[in-house]
Amino acid sequence: MTDCPNGDVRDLLPAMLHDRLTPERRREVEAHLSGCDDCQAELALLRAMRSTLRRTPAVDVAAIAAAIPPYRAPSRRSWGRWRAAAAVLLVAGGTSVAVLRSRDTSPAIGDTTVVVAARTADSMLPRGSATTSAASTAPAPRELAIGGAAVSDLDDTELSTLLAGLQTLDAVPSTDVENTVAVSPLQPTGTN
Amino acid sequence: MTGSASEGHDLTDLDLVARWKGGDQRAATRLVERHAEAVTRFVRSLGARQEIEDVVQETFVRAFGSIDGFRGESSLRTWLFTIARRLVLDHRRSDRRRGEQVGVHDADVRTEFDALDAVLADETEQRMRAAVDRLTPTQREVFVLRVGEGMSYKEIADSVGTTEGAARVHYHNAMRAIKELLDD
Repeated sequence: MTDCPNGDVRDLLPAMLHDRLTPERRREVEAHLSGCDDCQAELALLRAMRSTLRRTPAVDVAAIAAAIPPYRAPSRRSWGRWRAAAAVLLVAGGTSVAVLRSRDTSPAIGDTTVVVAARTADSMLPRGSATTSAASTAPAPRELAIGGAAVSDLDDTELSTLLAGLQTLDAVPSTDVENTVAVSPLQPTGTN
Repeated sequence: MTGSASEGHDLTDLDLVARWKGGDQRAATRLVERHAEAVTRFVRSLGARQEIEDVVQETFVRAFGSIDGFRGESSLRTWLFTIARRLVLDHRRSDRRRGEQVGVHDADVRTEFDALDAVLADETEQRMRAAVDRLTPTQREVFVLRVGEGMSYKEIADSVGTTEGAARVHYHNAMRAIKELLDD
């Protein structure tokens, strides 16, 4: 059996066999097939191959179905874990709490816990997705830091900013690796 | 319980999943009926041996157990193939740890299909089966998905964990090898 030199059409023959071509593509392939003995022979071979491949060892469908348990809604344990982690960050400062400091004020020694956490969270994200980091969510000239003031000392704006920062930490574990990994550009195919 | 899925042959996979999540266990049965044969063929193409049915069952149990991770970005069948493939690889690794010789060699596959040969009355079919058996594992996997299941290169790439371009190359290499084997 010889190969037709038209690789594009040969590439489409399995899709033709399974009726997965657009009507336009199908007409193109049919037009080629009408004058090409090699492609007709290849399509016939593919049809016979499909028939052979679709012979399946028997499996007990009822037994498989019976093994499937009823649906259970997912727990929110992972959310709870991250909320707990955020709480630990607050407690880690002892009775001290977070304050917002202007960038032009040097952080005190030992006041870097939340800053580090925020930067760590930022580093876990794919490059270019900085919108979810605590540091980038805070107003530009400011950053989160552990300080000596009590939560009750924060005004409404500062408290909102702090909570927004913690909320973005929750978003980190939900970053879907599978979605972010598949970034390689698709190969141009010209087929289905 | 919601409406009967046994009447729902026109329902999409996602419709059936929604019904199952709503408490209709028959929707799960319908999905198994719809996809079990294809998953079985795929598992067999991976060179799985006596544990085919176990792998197929485990595939469905795991798929339904983590159905909330299925977002419909690929077809349910492609997702099932991906799970089945991982299971076969896991079985192979655990067999290897036990010291068993589990590489997918031609001899293994031929042994597997000896039994099947008994029901293949047609000699031509046996020759075609033998030709497929002689492909490399990756070529066979891609060829079965392309020709047996009619999947696109994109779907094959998603199932096998490769690129569309690589899947295309494997398919054409497989096709060339099969023609040569059948011409011998």
